[in-house]
Amino acid sequence: MKRTILDLINERPVLLDGGLGTELMRSGLPQGACPETWNTGRPEAVKAVHASYFAAGSDAVSTNSFGGSRIKLAAHGLEARAAELNAAAARVAREAAPAGRFVAGSIGPTGKFLRPQGEFTEAEFEEAYAEQAGALAGGGADFLLIETQYDLREALAALRAARAAAPSLPVFVTLTFNAYPRGYFTLMGNTVVAAVAALEKEGAAAVGANCTLDSREMVGLVRAFRQATRLPVVAQANAGKPALAADGGVSYSQGLEEYVGFVPAILEAGANVVGGCCGTGPDHIRKMSEHVHKNTGERRDK
Amino acid sequence: MIKEELYRSMRKAIVDGDKPAARQLALDALRLGLDLNEVIDKGYVTGIQEVGGLWEKGEYFLPELISSAECMKAAMDVLQPEMTKANVKSRSLGKVVIGTVEGDIHDIGKNLVASMLQANGFEVFDLGADVKLERFIEKAQAEGADLICLSALLTTTMLNQKKFIELLGKQGLSRKYKVLVGGAPATRKWAEDIGAQGYAENAAMAVREAKALMGR
Repeated sequence: MKRTILDLINERPVLLDGGLGTELMRSGLPQGACPETWNTGRPEAVKAVHASYFAAGSDAVSTNSFGGSRIKLAAHGLEARAAELNAAAARVAREAAPAGRFVAGSIGPTGKFLRPQGEFTEAEFEEAYAEQAGALAGGGADFLLIETQYDLREALAALRAARAAAPSLPVFVTLTFNAYPRGYFTLMGNTVVAAVAALEKEGAAAVGANCTLDSREMVGLVRAFRQATRLPVVAQANAGKPALAADGGVSYSQGLEEYVGFVPAILEAGANVVGGCCGTGPDHIRKMSEHVHKNTGERRDK
Repeated sequence: MIKEELYRSMRKAIVDGDKPAARQLALDALRLGLDLNEVIDKGYVTGIQEVGGLWEKGEYFLPELISSAECMKAAMDVLQPEMTKANVKSRSLGKVVIGTVEGDIHDIGKNLVASMLQANGFEVFDLGADVKLERFIEKAQAEGADLICLSALLTTTMLNQKKFIELLGKQGLSRKYKVLVGGAPATRKWAEDIGAQGYAENAAMAVREAKALMGR
């Protein structure tokens, strides 16, 4: 039988990719444009970014579908194209993937709130997420990565929907946490312990955190996850905070070396799956690969 | 000292997110013929300030913040029409034009800041998300605004905060409006580098910063 992503996690630490939107903008995606439209409009450009991450050492890349739920796409008036754009996202990543590497179907938050804070019901969220998950599975994703969730209720709706629409795919779920003196909390006030317990119960294959925190801050959060679960733990940290660069653009406060310097500690704290988030690119992944694939005998080509 | 007790109850209603109580206490204030500006300042606003503090400490989160802001609105919905009828001018801390900059559709943080500014006594003109930079200036000119608040969630769109300040300069309006920037990627240093007068990491800080910029 084919080796699955879960088999790989059992064998050794797994490396995901880094930022995608920023790489697409480097390739000319205009500011404010919907990145998912490039899955059909400029598939070769999306494929090139995926290929650069695989070349840098990613065991899996995430599809260009973070904002691909019908509810999020509606902000661009593209809700009717949800199924098409997600299926294309998975296909493009699949085409870029060398044999034995994996495609994670990326599912980001809707950007809306459930009642009573917002207008939406859980059933409406589940319908949108099921459509997205089904299309990603149909396009060839190996597993689903529900990521950057700030509301546990929304994450659970996405997880239930994904499990129903793509029953054969493992579903990973990451939430984004702020660090307070009292501990780590999502925007809605969910704790690590509560999130892990609920996600486990709904059948998540792996759980973890991404975004908001830098790689130094991520170490403690990973430890909190490790204490709360026996499931594989996913960690994708930001490269610090953006600042104005000399060229008038934006650069990140954690330099490449500093960012990657905390990767061994993140692994040591109990992460099984690591990758980058905002401010990271193929260079970060290449450098991370040196730590992640250190003892695997399958170091990626440089 | 029934008044003091009433103010304490108003504060508690806001902190607890108890909408029926917030509304009922506003009706009580009307019935007792109290100075409504004082009711707002010493009663409700002290509550919303406490909520802001709890939010910053990580005791309160978005659901609590929203329900407290809604309580504030429920109370104001009772008080405002009476103040208008009685020709009592409600004290405004200042006029604020707020929005998420063009190219950026994220509005969760911006909405929180707008509702907290409003709850604290600012007059808020919310332009929504993906707002053209020129539009902020048009609206500020039309309303005679004091502050312009720009939100951006993306590192790519935060550059529009910088562009906006340049645009203000080009139009010779740099001294007329104070600019407050925020959003996940923004930092104090970023604000200083691009020449914004204010920066806020969260909605509670935005209120403090806006008040400071208004000299309060």
